[in-house]
Amino acid sequence: MLKTLASTPVFGLTLTVLAFCFGRWVQKKTKFVLCNPLVIAVACIIIFLSVTGIPYSDFARGGDIINMMLGPVTAVLALNVYNQRRVLGEYFWPVLIGCLVGSAVSLFGVLALCRLMGVDRMMTMSLMPKSCTSAIAIAIAESHGGDAGIASAGVLAAGIVGAVFSPLFIRIFRIKDPVAQGLGIGACSHALGTTKAMELGEVQGAMSSIAICVCGIISSVLALFV
Amino acid sequence: MNVVAQAALIFGVCLAGEAIAAILPVNFPASVIALILLTILLMTRVVKPRHIEGLSNVMLANMALVFVPVCTSVMDKFVYIKPYLLPFLLICVATTPVVFLVTAWTVQLVLKLQRRKGAKDHA
Repeated sequence: MLKTLASTPVFGLTLTVLAFCFGRWVQKKTKFVLCNPLVIAVACIIIFLSVTGIPYSDFARGGDIINMMLGPVTAVLALNVYNQRRVLGEYFWPVLIGCLVGSAVSLFGVLALCRLMGVDRMMTMSLMPKSCTSAIAIAIAESHGGDAGIASAGVLAAGIVGAVFSPLFIRIFRIKDPVAQGLGIGACSHALGTTKAMELGEVQGAMSSIAICVCGIISSVLALFV
Repeated sequence: MNVVAQAALIFGVCLAGEAIAAILPVNFPASVIALILLTILLMTRVVKPRHIEGLSNVMLANMALVFVPVCTSVMDKFVYIKPYLLPFLLICVATTPVVFLVTAWTVQLVLKLQRRKGAKDHA
């Protein structure tokens, strides 16, 4: 019975949405960064599939339907850029130069470390955009022969590090300017870091969310030269 | 605008992105082209925020949901990641503070230069 149900696309759809609702609920209750709805949803689905023995390919039938929304979700980030146009105009050069340097260091830093540690090309291309927001990182990884799943895992790892430790980074490196704090957080840990940046202040939050889109666009251009 | 028309507009921009990506001689992601395209359309006021806002805000607020299946596909690739688990973690953890530091420093430097230039222009 379960096997027949699991083979329909609705199974993957239902499981995804349910797991995400649960993840949100846990986040609301605990308010803890590591209890990110995405992390919890993915963990729940992996545990559920492992326990029931339902193959991943069955889940993917529904999952693939949701994957089709990856493109449109990236496109509507344009509304975020538009809504921030005033701040973006005011700090145009700091945003552009800061994001350019940050993205370059992230991309080429990952490439250098991968080469140093003998990581193969597919893995390298998947990790390369790890400082970008998931939607853009997946697109960059896939267009350069990387894997979307590994790419999003890398993005999550970088995001969690940034979200948990960015206040510490600010203290250790003595970054006093709120504009620099926000752009730094957004450049290294995208949307996950932005939630933390918003807690630090309004300027930090706005700057961090601008950095997400600007770094994403710059990174996809820089990736062409890899 | 009603939700279906908004969807048509957003999907249409994505389709245009795919078309441009297919023509481009380089590997540039179609979704990022769509993002740039929609930003230009909004900035030039060809598309007004109200044309896409209703649907876009729902999508942006629930964005992480879309990444659940992709992230789950990691379980299918785990055999592949396993030998690289240490480099994977090391790279993700180590590069993050470096990117933060370099970006923040660059921004502070640019701001300082701008302020100095502004002060000179005033004098």
